[in-house]
Amino acid sequence: MVSYENKAILEERGIKESDVEEVIASGTKIKNGASDVLSKKRIGDVTYYAMANGDVVKTAYSHKMSVGAVVNVQSDSDWVCLKCNEAAKEGTADVEYMGVSRSGPAIVCPKCGDAWVEEYLATKTVAVAEGLFEAKRA
Amino acid sequence: MQLIAFRVFNHRHYGTKLRGNNDKDYIGSLKFENTGITMGYEELFPPANMAWSGHAAKRFGSPFVDVFTDRIDVDPIILSHAAVATGYTIRDFYEKPELGIHCVSYISEMYDLLPVTHWFFSLPWVTELGLTLEYKETLPPISTGPIISEPEEVDKLEVASMSDLRKGWTYPMYKRIYDYVGANLAQTLVPISYGFDLVGAPGELCGVENLIMWTFTDPDVVDKLIDVYVDTSVNGAKCMAEDFGFAMLIVGSVLANNDIFDDASVEKFSAKKMRDYVNKSFRGGAGPQLFYHFCGNHETSYKVFKDNLVWSPLTVTHIGYSGQNVFPSDVLRQEFENVTTCMGSVDTKLMINPNPVKVYEQSKEQLLKGRDSKKGYILGSSCECPPYTIPGCMHAMVKAAQDYGTYGTW
Repeated sequence: MVSYENKAILEERGIKESDVEEVIASGTKIKNGASDVLSKKRIGDVTYYAMANGDVVKTAYSHKMSVGAVVNVQSDSDWVCLKCNEAAKEGTADVEYMGVSRSGPAIVCPKCGDAWVEEYLATKTVAVAEGLFEAKRA
Repeated sequence: MQLIAFRVFNHRHYGTKLRGNNDKDYIGSLKFENTGITMGYEELFPPANMAWSGHAAKRFGSPFVDVFTDRIDVDPIILSHAAVATGYTIRDFYEKPELGIHCVSYISEMYDLLPVTHWFFSLPWVTELGLTLEYKETLPPISTGPIISEPEEVDKLEVASMSDLRKGWTYPMYKRIYDYVGANLAQTLVPISYGFDLVGAPGELCGVENLIMWTFTDPDVVDKLIDVYVDTSVNGAKCMAEDFGFAMLIVGSVLANNDIFDDASVEKFSAKKMRDYVNKSFRGGAGPQLFYHFCGNHETSYKVFKDNLVWSPLTVTHIGYSGQNVFPSDVLRQEFENVTTCMGSVDTKLMINPNPVKVYEQSKEQLLKGRDSKKGYILGSSCECPPYTIPGCMHAMVKAAQDYGTYGTW
């Protein structure tokens, strides 16, 4: 059972509580030095993220692009991949949307090759990019 | 006219002002001395061809979304050439930016080029950090100082905040330009914020010779100087994103090239700083479009960029030269095609050579080497096309793109 630090943000971003709970229950995870755990799961055509500290969900967000293979591993990050217990890095991953494959910045695990998009990117940069893809592909 | 800036350190206020006797005459309009008639810049141009604009916009978008149109796009980085080709001067282009950007739009249509209107010079944000700029007849605005002459002074230099920038010279000018484009050329509007040359512009703050020397004697001072410029530029990008909803970022490695620095120094003072600039700008809501401009000689330093820079889904990477030759598009493609749209170069020197076939042949060579880039290709010039570019040479670039600018084998 989780509680929410800011439930309004879910409504603002069109995210259901049931999706957040599914992401936390079965998503892949990274953890930072402040013990925030970021969980990620693709549900349907959307990738959802939930960041929680203990049982408290601090934020949730999503993007439509799917994140694929790691392209390169760059500098250190604050995150650790909980599946591999390896330091996750800032890097670049393939992203795909509407049949178009490009690259985007991500937190990547050099060992398992999973990749996570941080909130500031998903809600701003990636959201604008998705809008531009939709307009250009229309 | 001269732009005067005051640098005051240690938490005291600084400001900028324009000094001149006709400031009001050129803001948004042109006054004809012989008649006394004043016309808005938008009244000086025929209406844009919207059918062309629509098609050009699709062509511009094609490398990013894999919906290919008629041919590869051409972007010869037109700046003051647009003013000269419309009958104005180089000084007009820089001193009257709304006129300048309208000229770019008009001339882009005439030559059938990439349709994004742009206007810039290499020293944004330096007036807010204390430099004085002076308009020149045949050059972009140049710095007349005062420079930071001692390394110890760098510690006193402060980042200009968003609020400082909104009261300064650079940002209000860009705001004015894009408000003008939004009102008069909305079909071409892409708000752009310039980090531009993150080594060259700080170099102007202390004098380029000092900066180069300090990279050996006081590298921490150079680090700090660049960081102040980077963070000020980031605040500029955040202002643009706040006002327009997003902001394309243009940032380059110009002074930091192999004619001056070894690869390790290009990586330390340029590539890593560009990463910092883009990361922080993205966190402030800027992007997602990115244009990396590596002008000058990047014969070996091109290798330091791929693993240091941030790559967004809408990135273009451009390199000018390898030694004294244009940077070969096959090498550009090999290094960068997995992460970015590639922009190849035609030597700007050829653009003032009355021999259009040389431009055509080099354009063809670059197109054949680069056109199969996985994430698309744009044909550019190695840097800004010269103000007195020969129209026949420009046409040769476009003609080569028409003849050879196909993706794959189609």
